[in-house]
Order: sequence, then structure tokens, then C-alpha cells
Amino acid sequence: MFCYQCEQTTRTDLGGGCATQKGVCGKDETTADLQDLLIYQLKGIGQYSYRLHQLGQADAAADEFIRYALFTTLTNVNFNRARFVELIAQAAQVRDRLRAAYEAASPETPRLGGPAAFAPATALPDLLKQANIASVRAGADLVGDDVIGLRALVLYGLKGVAAYAHHAEVLGYTKPEVGAGLAKALDLLAGEPADINVLLTEALALGTLNYAVMELLDAANTGTYGIPAPTSVRTTPVAGKSILVSGHDLRDLHAILEAVKGTDVKVYTHGELLPAHSYPKLAAYPNLAGNYGTAWQNQQLEFAAFPGPIVMTSNCLIEPQPAYRNRIFTAGPVGWPGVRHIADGNFSQVVQAAQALPGFSETASEKKILVGFGRHAVLSVAGQVIEAVQSGAVKHFFLIGGCDGAAPGRNYYTDFAEKAPKDTVLLTLGCGKFRFNMEDHGTIGGIPRLLDIGQCNDSYSAVQIALALANAFKCGVNDLPLSLVVSWFEQKAVAVLLTLLALGVRNVRLGPSLPAFLTPAVLGVLVDKFGVQPINNAEADIAASLARASA
Amino acid sequence: MSALEVTLVTRDGERLQFPCAATDNVLRAAETAGYFLPAMCHEGTCGLCHARVAAGAFEMGAHSPSALSTKDAAAVLLCRCHPRDNLTVDLPYNRSQVLRHRVPVREAVIESLTPAWHGAVSLSLRLQPDPETGSAAEFSPGQFMELTIPGTEIRRAYSLANLPNWEGRLDFLIRLHPGGAFSTWLAEQAKPGDKLTVRGPSGAFVLDELSARPRCFVGGGCGLAPILSMLRHLGEFQDSQPTHLIFGANREAELLPEQEVETLRASLPQLGVTLAVSQPGSGWDGFTGTAPAALEAWLAEATEAIDIYACGPPKMLEAINAIVDQRGRGDRVIAEQL
Repeated sequence: MFCYQCEQTTRTDLGGGCATQKGVCGKDETTADLQDLLIYQLKGIGQYSYRLHQLGQADAAADEFIRYALFTTLTNVNFNRARFVELIAQAAQVRDRLRAAYEAASPETPRLGGPAAFAPATALPDLLKQANIASVRAGADLVGDDVIGLRALVLYGLKGVAAYAHHAEVLGYTKPEVGAGLAKALDLLAGEPADINVLLTEALALGTLNYAVMELLDAANTGTYGIPAPTSVRTTPVAGKSILVSGHDLRDLHAILEAVKGTDVKVYTHGELLPAHSYPKLAAYPNLAGNYGTAWQNQQLEFAAFPGPIVMTSNCLIEPQPAYRNRIFTAGPVGWPGVRHIADGNFSQVVQAAQALPGFSETASEKKILVGFGRHAVLSVAGQVIEAVQSGAVKHFFLIGGCDGAAPGRNYYTDFAEKAPKDTVLLTLGCGKFRFNMEDHGTIGGIPRLLDIGQCNDSYSAVQIALALANAFKCGVNDLPLSLVVSWFEQKAVAVLLTLLALGVRNVRLGPSLPAFLTPAVLGVLVDKFGVQPINNAEADIAASLARASA
Repeated sequence: MSALEVTLVTRDGERLQFPCAATDNVLRAAETAGYFLPAMCHEGTCGLCHARVAAGAFEMGAHSPSALSTKDAAAVLLCRCHPRDNLTVDLPYNRSQVLRHRVPVREAVIESLTPAWHGAVSLSLRLQPDPETGSAAEFSPGQFMELTIPGTEIRRAYSLANLPNWEGRLDFLIRLHPGGAFSTWLAEQAKPGDKLTVRGPSGAFVLDELSARPRCFVGGGCGLAPILSMLRHLGEFQDSQPTHLIFGANREAELLPEQEVETLRASLPQLGVTLAVSQPGSGWDGFTGTAPAALEAWLAEATEAIDIYACGPPKMLEAINAIVDQRGRGDRVIAEQL
């Protein structure tokens, strides 16, 4: 096993990476090796898919498979090795189908080699013997760590794009160019590129592709559930039977709300589903009672204390504790061995579980927080915002976006929010906000100082707000009184970072630690070319931001 | 070396005390004592189990520098903190965030009581809805419940044979022992509608579902109940790992009925079954010998290390351990003694 795709990967003097029998996230060696093999096969599928796209004969089902399969390998998504054995067998079938289509369309072309020619074993022990070929560090002795790290950057960016595209796709929103872009990147990786510029160019191309995907996802979410509006969300429980829904998937939440219609079962959001309350078509369900708990890394305590079933619709899942293992369900790409999985969108057994479990015995005193400041809400008061900047009432905007996590270094983001001067506005995005969003940050001219844009999946909305402000002030995004303070954890954040770089957004402050897969040389390129800055301490970074100091 | 004393002090001032050997870490010792603290990687990397030592000497094992503040010499990761003295540790959270494993006690009603095969009965109970615990039957396949004879203090532990469910159903397979208190009550008095107290689930005889090894289940008589629950669970989850069942009996009549085997195979197609009879009649063409002897024969063909789940009397478990030691392949025995 070798995996260094997330922020919390093991770091030692010898470098970063989980290389023992179990990763920090809980992924065991067998599952990690099977995930590597699946990725290797997806590169092979990408080789054929890319060529079929060029021939105008794209296989939409294969593109869908690529997105779903990549999503299963994101951090804290699927830990079920049996699922990966199945996916590996399916991947071989998809590859065979694409190969037949390509060879029929181009009979003169010699058969493709590399991952496209890979024949996976059928039995698990034999599969594991094949895993070396698929390691993310394969070929390191030939091409060096810079190239291996950049290949990883492209692969992890790909995973992030695929996850966002999958979220859009389940709501019926797809575009052929997304499939083509993912296949192109997989095809490139299949060829084991060793040119640093080629890899950097592809990473930025993925950033551009991700921007289109984020736009698609924004259209999917707002088109299906309405335009998010500022909404006050209850954060304390109400007496009665209850279901907790975590992850990011709005469609699963909607299906659960439909399943409890007409019952007295109350549905609570957890973690990244908090912004779901701001979508009018979801908020209209009377069973949607509020938000319970905070960010993903606190789930073991929060789930254990929740008196009903829990549904994990996407990342981030961590090992279910015995206290709630029987009443947690996974859906979509998520999985854990021995945990019930709902593959068909039928949540009736979750409702049954809610009826059988005790539920909350009493109603706690009411507490509420405000969410729903997506691009429509913020831009609807753009005039006021611009005026506040011009009058000096608002000196600066800080976008504190990204993931939360357990590492003590993440206190930086709490400090940042607490110490930001009162004449600055805090825009939040992702689950990192749970460190400080329950506090009262006050208002400026009637506008709350903390405006939550939404999930990490809503990065498009944040970019649109920045572009609209730049347009209003007749300047570039980099000239705005706006600083991006990003906490990354998994591969969707990698994709968003690539998007920001591709859009030319400079001076992003990144933490709590920099990706372990990037070597100092490659990080040097990101710093020089894009002004990416590692976080320092909150006070110094706030001061530097206000002074517009850039790297 | 005798164990040292660890005192955890929660943010709201509650003190949790338990012993911890110098070779052990504070997190594991707390879990052994039934206190489940926030923790994720257990390997000194994620940083979730950080705390602060208020008094006492300790040694920190290998851990990731990013997981722990270096500015504070008293900051520790509990999963890597080995006591060298009696320790007092301040936890950065309240008592309510420390999970304490409590065994629920609930009321259940007999739904049915029917003869099973050869001297055993099938007892089916339904949990009564309770405001604190609800009505679901939540347990891990392989665990047991303690049943109390109504109007007495007499309790007996029996393994659950069914799957966790939301209807609150608890199924047991109980062999009647002539003269036994619970057997006598079951045989002579118990009837559908009777209420009794159940305490559980308890027990650590559960599947290690993270293990990728082939599994072999060995049991006989009522030792089959927890194994049936585990096999049904694997079937429900469409587990694909190689799985074998060895069921031992003295005579053919005590064997698992063929229909039960077929039902298991329908959901677990890869299931191999060896029925072993130690004193068979003349028509027996299956394995002749004890369950451990059948296991030995089966292991002789196995090339990998196996997870062996065994439930039976001490003699059977001793024999299985001896076979595994002899084989020397690193097989693991996960056992429940009857």
C-alpha cells in the first residue's frame, strides 16, 4: 500500500504517505491496492474512451462508469474491498466493450498497450499480486519524485472533477465534454508522461474542465431545487423520531424527505448537507427539521449520540463505531464492510429504522444559524456591498473555504475568523466553517459579517461572486480586497485549487499543510507562478492580506 | 510490572480512572475499561485523540509531527502516550463526548417456541418498544443476550441466531438440558405472550469484516446459533470471500437439516459445507470424525492463512488451537466458549 492523496496522510522525515497495513483514514492495504488497480484500469478505459470521443463515438455509459469509479476512490468514500473486486471485474468489461468499438471503427490501428491491455486476475490473492504495476509511485526510480508528484496532482484533480461531475449527473446534468476531458487526462496518465510542463498544462486543463463541471453542478442544484436563499436553520433537536443525513448528495436527501412524507419522522442534515436548507424545494418539506452536529471528523461522537438511523451519501465516512454500526447506511459511491448499503435510492428501510429507534425524547432550546448566501443572494445586495466597500465600512473580504479535519493545525482557521477585524466580511464554503459558524460575528450595515456560500461543491458560486465584484469595481479578481484562505483535505479540494490556478487567481493561502505528493521543486513552481502561499499564523496572514502583500 | 493508574479529567471536571500497563497506550487502556474517546487512526497521525498531561511522567511513541503541537511539552496523543508513572490527563472535551459502553436491559415477549432439531428449541422473542431504547434489535452477529426467567434472578446467556432487525425480533436456538433451570422453564412453563427481561447484546465473538482472509466457521449443536447469524449476515451483504462451514455432531440425526444448508447457500453461493459425524450409522458417506478433525482435513487443502470462527466446548476449542499451532500458517482463531 502507498497512498498520499489526502492532507492527513502520514508524514515522516522520509516524506509523506501511508504505507503500512492501514492508512490514517482507515483504508486497509487490500482496499488501497484494489483502488490502485481500479485506477489503472480506468486509465486503460480512458485510452479507448478518449479515442472514441475523437471519433465522435463516445460511450456515455463508460464515461459514467469512469466518474462513479473515480469517486469511489476519493478519501473517506469507499472502504469495502468486495465492492472494488466487483468494480475491477466491471471495469474489464467496460474496457472490452470500448476496445471492440474502437477496433471496429479503426480496424487498421494496432491494439493499444499499457493499461488498456491489462488483464486483471479474478481471485483476490492474484489481484493483489498485480497491484505493484498500479501503484501511484510506480516508475519513481525512472522519472523521479517531481514527475510522480505531478502525475498524482493530475490524478487527484481528476478524482475531484469526477466527484463533482457525478453529483451533477445524478440530477440529470451531463455534458459530453466532461467525459472527453476526463478521458483525455486518463489517456495522458496511461502514457506515463515524464515532461513536467506537459503535466502542469494538463493539471491546469483539468482546472478549466472543473470550472465547467462546477457550473454544471450549480445548474443541476439550482435547476432541481431552486435558487438558494438566506435561511435560518435550527441546530438543536426537536422531540420525535429522526433520521440524520450526511455527505453532500442533495438527491439522496430529497429521496429521504420524500420517503418520510406523511410521517412524523424528522430529517436532520449533518456536515456538508447544512446548506441544503437554503434550497426552497428542499426547505419546503416540513419533515426537514434542522441541522445536527458539525464537520465530518466529529462524526463518531455525533453519530453515536444521534438516536436514529444515519445515511452517509458521499464522503467523508470514517470507521463506524459499534455504537451505531447497525444503524448507519451508506448510499451512492460510499461503502464500509458490514454496513448496510442502499444502491437503489429506496430509503424505506431507513424510515423503518427511524420508527424502531428511540428518536429525541425532548425538544432542546432553539438555536439557529443563517445559511444560503450563494451567488444569487450575495449579488442581489451587490449594490449595498459595493457601497459598503466604497464608504470604507467593509475593508476586506476573506473567503475561508474548504474542508475541516482533526489536525491541531486547523485551529488556524478558527483563529483567522476570530481575529479578522470587525470591518471585514467572512465568506465561508465547505465544512471548515463548523469551527466558527455557530458564533455571532455581527453585522455590517445590516449585512451579516459571516456569509455562508454553501458546500465545497458550491465553489462555482464563490467564483461568480468574485467575478461579479471584480466587474463592478472594474478590476481583476486579484485586485479585489479579497483573500482566499483555503483548507484542503481531499481530492475535490485539489480540483478546486486547480480551477483557481487556471482562472489566474493568485495568492491563495493553503493549509493546514501542503500536499505531501508535491515535491519542494513543484511547490516552488506553484509559489512562483501562481503565488500559492502556505499558511503561516492567523494574525500575520490577516495583516499581510490587509496590506495586500503577495507572493 | 503492575499497571499504573490513569485519571482522565474531562473539561467539565469528571474524573475517569482505569489501569494502564506501561507497555500499553492510554487510548487502548481507556477502551479496555469501556471508555471510548474520540479517535480515528490509532497510529499517531490524525491528531484526533490529542489531550494534555496535567501530572505524571509519560513517553510518547512514534507519531507524526503535524499531529501534535510541539510548543507544549505536556501535549500528547493518547494513542501514543505510554505512562511511566500514574498519570492525570486533561481531556479537551466534556464527559458527554466520552462514550461509555452500557448494556441495555429491556423487556421482550415470547412470540414463538417451537422444537428445532434434535433436542433443541427455537425461541423467538420480540422487544417491547421503550422510550429510551426504541424497539429495534441492534446487535452484531455472533453476540449474545442474557435472558432472565420471569419472577426469578436466574439468568442464562444465549447467542442470537438471526440478523439485526428493525422489528425487534430476537431468535435463539437453545438446547434443552434435562434438569437445567432455564431448560425446565422453557419445557414446562414458557408460552407465547410471556414477558421476560433481556440484557444485551454482549460479547466479542463477532466478524472481523476488515480481514480479507478466507473464513472457516466451526461449530456443533447450539454452537451453531452465532455462526448462523454470522453466515446470514455475510449472505445479506453479499460477501464474496471464500467461506466454509464445518458442523460437527455425534450422530446424523443431530446434523444441521439439509434445508438450512440450502437456505444459507442461496444467499452465500460460495459457501462450502462439511458435515462431520463422529459416531455415524452404517449409511453415512460424509466425513467421519469430530469437527476439529474435519477442520484439520480441510486446512490441509488450504494454501492461505485462514480466519477460523469457532463456537463450542473448551475441549473442541483446545483441539482447534492445537491444530492451528501445528499448521504454523498464521491462522487466527476467533472463539466463543460454550
